[in-house]
Amino acid sequence: MIQIKELSVQFGGVKAINALNAVLDQPVCGLIGPNGAGKTTLVNVLSGLVRPRTGGVSVDGIELLALSPAQRVRFGLRRSFQTEQVVEDLDVWSNVLAVLDHVPRHTAGHGSRRDSDLHEAARAIEYVGLQSVATVLGAQLNLFQRRLVEVAKALVGAPRLLLFDEPGAGLNEQESAQLRRLLLGIADFCGAQLLLIDHDVDLIAATCGQTLVLDFGQRLALGPTRDVLADPAVRRAYLGAEL
Amino acid sequence: MVMPPDKTDHNKTGDAQGLSPALALALHEVRRRERSGLVLMLVSVLLVGMLLPWIANAYWTKTLSSALALSIAAAGATLLYGQLGLVSLCQFALLGVGGWLALRLSHGLAMPFELCVLAAGLLSALVGMLAGLPALRLKGLYLALVTLMLAGGFQVLVTVTGFPDGGSGWLGRVEGSERLLMARPWIAQSDASYLRYVAAWLAAMLALITLHRHSRAGRSWALIRRGEAAALGAGVNVLLYQTWAFALAGFCAGVAGALLAGGVGQLDGRGFGASESVMLFALSIVGGVHHWLGAIVAGLLLRAVPALLTDLGVNGYLAMIFFGAALLHALVTAQRGVAGQLLDGAAALRRKLGGEKGGGKGATP
Repeated sequence: MIQIKELSVQFGGVKAINALNAVLDQPVCGLIGPNGAGKTTLVNVLSGLVRPRTGGVSVDGIELLALSPAQRVRFGLRRSFQTEQVVEDLDVWSNVLAVLDHVPRHTAGHGSRRDSDLHEAARAIEYVGLQSVATVLGAQLNLFQRRLVEVAKALVGAPRLLLFDEPGAGLNEQESAQLRRLLLGIADFCGAQLLLIDHDVDLIAATCGQTLVLDFGQRLALGPTRDVLADPAVRRAYLGAEL
Repeated sequence: MVMPPDKTDHNKTGDAQGLSPALALALHEVRRRERSGLVLMLVSVLLVGMLLPWIANAYWTKTLSSALALSIAAAGATLLYGQLGLVSLCQFALLGVGGWLALRLSHGLAMPFELCVLAAGLLSALVGMLAGLPALRLKGLYLALVTLMLAGGFQVLVTVTGFPDGGSGWLGRVEGSERLLMARPWIAQSDASYLRYVAAWLAAMLALITLHRHSRAGRSWALIRRGEAAALGAGVNVLLYQTWAFALAGFCAGVAGALLAGGVGQLDGRGFGASESVMLFALSIVGGVHHWLGAIVAGLLLRAVPALLTDLGVNGYLAMIFFGAALLHALVTAQRGVAGQLLDGAAALRRKLGGEKGGGKGATP
């Protein structure tokens, strides 16, 4: 569960997030809003790349702002970026193992740490369906495969909160449908909560039980996704009044 | 369609590690490729090191010893640039630091040669770490300038103090009598055996770097190179791994300095100008920073090409023009350097002879 209390972020004279309060307690939560609404800034605050001016953020009762970015990863926070960050000269295996290198591991039942890591990486790679390209270098993957590598990286090392920043950007309809199925299965796969940013309202509607809408750094709406998307204020500000 | 796998699948169909057959096969292939790459590198370097003294005359035996020693220093430069994208222009100065300590320990304490080499590597690693501290704040041109300043500082220092040559005092300088030569290891007293000895060190250092590249350190360096935000997002301790890389590069330079001192017997401060560090870095790019072969090419370019020109009766300084053109070529059209071109050529030859199939693009899942 993510609890945001009076969170404010300011870049010079611009208030990117302004006194935001929210409680996100569904397994898959959406975060939507027009460009510049503060969505990525909020994810950056959660992952430790941006320090807020005031306020606090906690996940499952743990105050995140007291932790460094590396400590947040060890705590179980994973994120993806709008621009995928697959390392081009590492194969899929190594891209996934690179995350496992920096999280605490329990090796019970799988021998050495190396074996345990390989097993966990294998589970994630199979989950996203990349087993046929597990030994292929990042440079040789297409965009969809790279997006799936990003998902696999987020699923390893006992994650507790996944922050996916537009994972469906640039994907075609068939690929988006496949991504949707994967996102819906994440809670069963590893038990982590997912906060999903995307401009694809269909994806948000299909996957998120609860959605937070930001506009100019402020909360415009928060609640069950179906209610939020039907909210006239949300439709006016984000979806367009004609919808 | 991809469905979440049955969590018990691995127990039903997997290997001893619990992997599914397809992934176990893929993992086996990755491990086989890594192992065979390492063995191929070790065998190639050792074999060439063994054979060279048979075909090289006395002049070329000494030249190639220096070239292979410099290849170790170049391997450090390629590690920093190829793995982390960091430009360090003080690698030759670190080589001098290592050479200084090796000479001092050998003359002053008569320590075994191998211990002198290791001590030289450790001191240069320490200095390299200190040189790398600005890297935590600086990148690109600014880091290059700071490290170049350090190289300039060493140039001034070594010009004033010189290298130890068997004298007394902590500087170990001889005043008014014959300079002593550094004692070589007992197994490598002749020039030919010393060339083989340097080749063995080169193989060991390249293996050390290769093992790093396939380990947690190598993956962390790759993430840092991809983007610091991505590295932080993956939990990488950027400070630790950047410092680690600078230390390893410094260790390479120190080992190279000690081996160079052992080959020649003494070092001359005039050979450790800041411009040498720039040249080493430039030729590392020409050689190729993404493969161990690139460091060897860089070492050969740095020592063997000027020696070849001299051997042919041509002014060795003409090599500078050749190096400039080669660097331009590498930056514009061959960013994997000479090593990349050689490997591409070898791969094309293999395909032509009906061996390995090309491509390697992954199928869409």
